[in-house]
Amino acid sequence: MRVHHTLVTLVLSVGVLTATNGSSARSAEFSAIAAQSAAAPAAQRPATPSSQQAAPATPRAATPQPTGDVAPPRENGSVRFAIIGDTGTGTKSQYEVGAQLMKARQVFPFDFIIMVGDNIYGSERPQDFVQKFEKPYQALLSAKVPFYAALGNHDDPTQRYYKPFNMNGERFYTYTKGEARFFVLDSNYMDQTQLKWLEDQLSKSNNRWKVAYFHHPLYSSGGRHGSETDLRTQVEPLFLRYGVDVVFAGHEHFYERLKPQKGIYYFTEGGAAKLAKGDILKTPLTAVGFDTDNSFMLAELGRDAMQFQTLTRVGKRIDSGTLPLVPDPKKLPADKSSSRSQ
Amino acid sequence: MVRLGLVLLFSSLCLGVSDARAQTKPQAPSSPKPLPPAQAAAANPYAAALAGFQQRIDAYLAMRNAISQKIPEVKETGDPTKISGREKALGQAIAMARASAKAGDVFGDLGPHLWRILEDDWKSRSPEDQKALFHEDPPLPSNLALKVNQPYPTTLPLVTVPAKLLAQLPMLPEQLEYRVVDRRLLLRDRDANLIVDVLVGTPVKRAQEAPVKREK
Repeated sequence: MRVHHTLVTLVLSVGVLTATNGSSARSAEFSAIAAQSAAAPAAQRPATPSSQQAAPATPRAATPQPTGDVAPPRENGSVRFAIIGDTGTGTKSQYEVGAQLMKARQVFPFDFIIMVGDNIYGSERPQDFVQKFEKPYQALLSAKVPFYAALGNHDDPTQRYYKPFNMNGERFYTYTKGEARFFVLDSNYMDQTQLKWLEDQLSKSNNRWKVAYFHHPLYSSGGRHGSETDLRTQVEPLFLRYGVDVVFAGHEHFYERLKPQKGIYYFTEGGAAKLAKGDILKTPLTAVGFDTDNSFMLAELGRDAMQFQTLTRVGKRIDSGTLPLVPDPKKLPADKSSSRSQ
Repeated sequence: MVRLGLVLLFSSLCLGVSDARAQTKPQAPSSPKPLPPAQAAAANPYAAALAGFQQRIDAYLAMRNAISQKIPEVKETGDPTKISGREKALGQAIAMARASAKAGDVFGDLGPHLWRILEDDWKSRSPEDQKALFHEDPPLPSNLALKVNQPYPTTLPLVTVPAKLLAQLPMLPEQLEYRVVDRRLLLRDRDANLIVDVLVGTPVKRAQEAPVKREK
């Protein structure tokens, strides 16, 4: 199930941001966002602008307040989830994004969170799992919101045994939520075993939505890393052959919505704790990019379209839109069962 | 043309062995009659080196499985102490069981062939691609000590193995993986976080600190 470019109708709801057409000056767009953040009320602004500070000694208690910039879901029965990436720092910014996720959930009640890798940076001692995951997301964990993690290049593969990551002991796995099937890959080690598994699982899926997520972006305007062309040559043909609709990645420490590539929607959300300020280069790939503050995404997979919104560490919406799903006549009626397999 | 032929030969051999490994036993060829081992090795040194490598991998797995019986596999748990405890115990037990192991013990005769695969892959890439491939953020230390029977440094990223290169290397069982780190090809035990073997002096150079590849 793929989407034709001409059918993409983006409804951007933030006045200062408009989808770029590749040649427009994105720097002006970022300046607008930066100015917007600076003008935020003192209560919304972080104590200091740095996003790489040490974690507070006592993580601030999540006191959810509805956030004006968060839009509620549009459809009953849709699949609602949040997307975070490159999170496991244990820094203040991670805690702030964690608190903001909890706030956003009051308006947009997502059912689960996907993590696109680099879940625990640096040492992976037991206390690191507490400081870099359990405490920053304590309120969400207490609310029984499940996380589904992918492995990044900073993650020891033994993280797959860590129950709160819900990886079922596997480097790569799949699960179903409503009418969507999620394919979680280990892009750090894309061997033939995994590729064969992926093809097998994709070929069996007749779900309305096919969503893949993993750490390394196939398309990216990042200055430090850029597109993972090696990985792309291996997995993109499978995505195209079996109709993957949406792909989420991280690795780059910013937010980028790519222009649809061969009919597939691509998002990079690797700025939920780390931040590479000013790292997005001007390339024709970018639809919208944001690299001046930490961010996270909310998504809703409905019957005919995906709604998405991207918010900053202080709750400002920086991107949102509607991405239509073009029915694929080859697909069978959606499998509504909830299951998982490796 | 000859070079292309060699590359294709190596590729097909890799794929052939990979496919064979995916099955339980290699199928006996119906014809022609197999050559005696010595003659076969002379006729196809790569295949012979690969077969030897496979035997050493099998021996390692047998030893590892015996140790695993005494250190039960960890199941999904919310207690990371159990995960890191098992990883450490398994790594120490394996290292103790092969205390005399040294670099090249597992790669053996296959080392030069792997070196050539790495070289061909490296030369096929643009300078930007070469820089991007093994670029780590933050960069790895310059005097990184990576020795057989030592744990892979837990504070460092696991350097990503390029997918196209991985497709050229002989397949490994799930317990093992390759990592290419600063001119060294590592064989790493995934759950024990143990360096099983090291091939030094590969043609894959350290990534330079510079802006990397651009999408055209």
